[in-house]
Amino acid sequence: MAVDLQDRKSAAQGDPVSAAVRLRPAKRAGLEERFAATDPEPGLEVTRNPRVARLMRNRKFQFLLILPNQIVFWTVIFVGVLGTAIPGLNFGAAITWYVWFCLVFVMMVVVGRAWCAMCPFGGFAEWVQRRTFFRRTQKALGLGRKFPEPLARLGFLIPVVSFLVLTWIEEFFNIAGPGNPADTSWMVVGIVSSALIFFLVFERRTFCRYVCPLTTLIGTVGSMGSVAGFRTKDREVCLSCKTKDCMRGGEQGYGCPWYTWPGSADSNLSCGLCTECFKSCPEGNVGLFLQRPLTSVVAPRRRRADVAWGIAILWGLVVFQQFNATNAYASLDSWLNRGMLLPHYPNPVDYVGIIALVSLLYAGIAWLFSRGLGRRDVVETHLDSFADRTSRFRAFFVPMSYGLIPVMGADYFARQLPKFFKHSARVVPAVAHIAGFSSAQSPIYGFHILSDGWIVVVQVAVIVAGTAAAAWATWRIAGRELVPVSRNALGVRLATLGVVLSCGAAASVLYVLMHAAS
Amino acid sequence: MAIITSDKPAAGTDLPHVQVLVDRCAGCQECVVRCPVGALDMDPGRWVVLADDERCVGCRQCVRTCPFSAIEVTGPALAGSRATTEVVHPEPLLADVQEIRRGLGSWEDALAEAQRCLSCPDPTCMRGCPAHNDIPGFIAAIAERDLAKAHEVLRRTSVLPDVCSRVCNQAAQCEGACTWSLAGETPVAIGQLERFVADTYAVPPPEPAADAGLSVGVVGAGPGGIGAAWALVEGGASVTVYERDPVPGGLLGWGIPDFTLPDAVASRPWRQLEEAGVELHCGVEIDAAGLEQLLSSHDAVVVATGASVPVRLPIPGADLEGVTDATTFLKTARAALEAGDGVRAWRATMGLDAMGGSGRAPHVLVLGAGNTAMDVARTARRLGLGATCVDWLDERFSLARPDELAEARDEGVDVRFSRTVSRVEGDGQRVRRALLAPTRQEQADRLPTVLHGEAPDTLDVDLVVMAMGYRVDPAVAGVLPGTPVRREARGLADRRWAASGVLANRASAFAYHNPVGKLALGREVGLQAASLPVRERLWVVGDALVGPATVVEAMAQGRRAAGALLAARPNRPGREESGRYRRALVCYASEGGRTAQVARTIGEELTDKGLSVRVLPIERVGPAELAAADLLVVGSWVKGLVVAKVGPPPAVRAWLDELPRLGGMPVAVFCTFGVDPRSTLADMAAALERRGARVVATSALRRGGNKVAAVAFARRILAGVRELSAVPASVGAR
Repeated sequence: MAVDLQDRKSAAQGDPVSAAVRLRPAKRAGLEERFAATDPEPGLEVTRNPRVARLMRNRKFQFLLILPNQIVFWTVIFVGVLGTAIPGLNFGAAITWYVWFCLVFVMMVVVGRAWCAMCPFGGFAEWVQRRTFFRRTQKALGLGRKFPEPLARLGFLIPVVSFLVLTWIEEFFNIAGPGNPADTSWMVVGIVSSALIFFLVFERRTFCRYVCPLTTLIGTVGSMGSVAGFRTKDREVCLSCKTKDCMRGGEQGYGCPWYTWPGSADSNLSCGLCTECFKSCPEGNVGLFLQRPLTSVVAPRRRRADVAWGIAILWGLVVFQQFNATNAYASLDSWLNRGMLLPHYPNPVDYVGIIALVSLLYAGIAWLFSRGLGRRDVVETHLDSFADRTSRFRAFFVPMSYGLIPVMGADYFARQLPKFFKHSARVVPAVAHIAGFSSAQSPIYGFHILSDGWIVVVQVAVIVAGTAAAAWATWRIAGRELVPVSRNALGVRLATLGVVLSCGAAASVLYVLMHAAS
Repeated sequence: MAIITSDKPAAGTDLPHVQVLVDRCAGCQECVVRCPVGALDMDPGRWVVLADDERCVGCRQCVRTCPFSAIEVTGPALAGSRATTEVVHPEPLLADVQEIRRGLGSWEDALAEAQRCLSCPDPTCMRGCPAHNDIPGFIAAIAERDLAKAHEVLRRTSVLPDVCSRVCNQAAQCEGACTWSLAGETPVAIGQLERFVADTYAVPPPEPAADAGLSVGVVGAGPGGIGAAWALVEGGASVTVYERDPVPGGLLGWGIPDFTLPDAVASRPWRQLEEAGVELHCGVEIDAAGLEQLLSSHDAVVVATGASVPVRLPIPGADLEGVTDATTFLKTARAALEAGDGVRAWRATMGLDAMGGSGRAPHVLVLGAGNTAMDVARTARRLGLGATCVDWLDERFSLARPDELAEARDEGVDVRFSRTVSRVEGDGQRVRRALLAPTRQEQADRLPTVLHGEAPDTLDVDLVVMAMGYRVDPAVAGVLPGTPVRREARGLADRRWAASGVLANRASAFAYHNPVGKLALGREVGLQAASLPVRERLWVVGDALVGPATVVEAMAQGRRAAGALLAARPNRPGREESGRYRRALVCYASEGGRTAQVARTIGEELTDKGLSVRVLPIERVGPAELAAADLLVVGSWVKGLVVAKVGPPPAVRAWLDELPRLGGMPVAVFCTFGVDPRSTLADMAAALERRGARVVATSALRRGGNKVAAVAFARRILAGVRELSAVPASVGAR
């Protein structure tokens, strides 16, 4: 190494360390192409507004988002256990299953991980971990371990498994029916306890990133949203930044709890909207940006297999939740339960079997496309990372799964609508019941916003909207990512389009069948 | 189908393997820009890091610097073997003060060791070095066989390479922070390489600049005074040094024995400084009145009087004849050893001739087992005395350097840990024995407890030397406001330090488990404090500033203070101003942007009036920024609920409380408010005055007020600053 004596002498007088730091230049090859499609337009920066910026910089901002939800969910826990056993009159069960789940879906589709920013489960555990409600503290409570790498490599798959387990428990005990309100309380206690344990054992938001049952669902469905999350304003500033306070934590903010760097974020998948990077950036180079809907579905260059499989499995689960309302399923489930001496629905074999069948069917179609339409010279990489390996099958399956997100999201949303339209009004008497008055005889208790027939119409309309969005996204994704690996450009676009349209149609038909069965 | 890549390690290889955890890797390139060997690159498609195991040397720099802990390295660190150097104990020891540690034997050894340096792009070793020597830079010069260049690199930050390479505890400094050390391996022998440079090629003398018309008095000729005088004379100042002792050098002269630091090396800096024109007055004691006199006769004064008062243990019998302190012992012993046949006379003077009955040599008990105690005990051995050191710390948590401890034991010093002297007893007035009580220490950060229930050992002694270290003379500290400064970094560490990885790991066994990063950050507090005057035109450096510390810290602080002094160019009263370059720092705490806007407006107006202005948020203002300013403007928003809890926000209060001494710096204070600022301005002004600032203007500006008010305030600041009256009319008339 040659030593440059001329230009460093004067600098050494003031700050000898800086004068002798000779960092290698950051790599910039491929930077432009990598982020061109995903970088939001400067005009869509919300934090350009001084009032919004001031709000986001305030350390109490996230605390005030979490606090109301915290109050509601601790009320859910206590009222669920101590309150009436009538689900519709119990605030815990009513608010959770008639309103909350539906509202979370609306937030996902519009904003992305808005719920994660205000989540009382992770929020509570984070308060304990940080030993403060909102201040910037320096020492965390707990062990601060890293999540084991073999598990971290599975990315968003572990949360999918935990979602499947939680859903089976919920179905088995009829928690979301809702059945006994106390079960709702215990479920919430279970989630809070799990979160607390993970926050005390592992660093940052390991629970939210790698374990939370909802994280894959919120992340994937949220990628349809119009909030891009916190991104860099000028990537060059980020690349030349010598401190990376947004990742390590700075004077005003913590390092990103979600392991996301605004300098390289290309979707809102892993942005928890916690504002910490915005607070900690000493250069003011981070902003909250909006984006066109579906941008985070269509535009990202890096596709991840864990996310793709997560989408396929979540699609399998929602199809199961539709199919389980049909007479055919009831017969199958009863037959299996008799044979296995299980008391009631859902039999784990048909639960897992149907989910696996649907998701593998989707993967199978992708495999067929890869064999029938794919080029033989697709580059294959053998990496340790499950998420990033490439193969001819993955070259089709992974992009196709991203295209399915709008249908899958719409289906989950539509699945929640009956409870909302039929029973959400019960929250009013449920609130009154905490104070000791109101009953199931209240006229509001029996008030339905929509009749069953209209609910099906709305459900099908939601599916149609989701399918249209999926068709548009799939057409774009196929044009950019499948055409280069296919022998027939138009054929692959039409074939993949046909698959998502079929999925949408199947979901619509299932809603009609469900209605007929009920 | 083409297989293009795999991140699995090659089977059967005994080489480092880098594993990038792609789920967490965000492509921030913190590892890429710092990898010493260029083993890391970016995958442009996935925008994650790619590693090349073929290039990796296993230094784990990437592991330490990744903000998301997304990279792991397994396998060996290819650090190579460290050059070994000899320690030669004279035989017999009596009266032999030859240097016992040898340097690198040859150019080949030096080149081989230089090759072990990775030239880290973000070198942690230089953060570990208290002077921040450009270590990769001078080692690269050695590798190029260019020692003149190596000296030039070292000279940017150090004027004592020959001294520091001999006396520094490198294991807790540069070598402890070497990337190999942080990876658990044996570090590059930085101290030996520095010594090789200094011993092989003469340390160049100072290069005085043209007379800058600045007269500076330096009180104390120890390492701090040397560092200050050297930088000042090279900056064109006229320097006069006042030293209490008859010879210059301070601790280098009398405190460190010749067998560690030969006299020829210790006296080299002053020979060169005097040749460069530094005026030296030895045997001159400067008291409080003298300091005021110096301030009136010089443009600025640097106080580097050190920590010269020995710490004495208040034990029964401490007033017996034959109980002395390390300063007295080392000074008299040095004189005796230098005199050739002076040992016998010294023993007579100390009353030791008749001691050591039964044919045994007189025995000295040294209280303490730190560096000073080791020096005392080993000097005692050279005076023909038996020596025992006792330290109440557990050996695991001892402050002694392991190499010094080993050398002392090799020379026959009996070192006993977990013991303390409970009393000394005598026959008549002369000390005869000491009672050593056992102690127990469970943890490094807890003081030992004395086990009173257990019987103490009895040791026959003829001389007791208290060598538990030194402290600053209270009379000196009394006239230097804000001293001593605690070398303890509080709050969030400098993010550049965190990014370098020096704070990320515990030290290796080589560094004796010293938390090198934490120690280095603490030293940085002292270095930064040295850049600010404690009073107007009065800087303090070295032990007088931070309490007992090290030679290299004192030297570095002296240089830092001199640099700040030269930039500030103060003038003593009555001397005509020579158009000093005025530098203003406008700092603000802004919640919604309005205070920031006012600060910018003030900054623009001050710039318009010819000042050099920096406008910064308070969280980015530290001692370095303050030292580079002659005028400070502080602004804040007002927190509170109209009438309740109205005042500066907590962050501003904390910042004001943490400020270093401002040494009479003129300060203007403003706040922006919505309804009523109440006592905000008064609170801020009082806090600044407590830190030694002079408040020259205050203003409460209504939120949403116009720019005119801010401009008017800027003009009031200019009018209020007494020094600004001397700004030439041509500058202020625009």
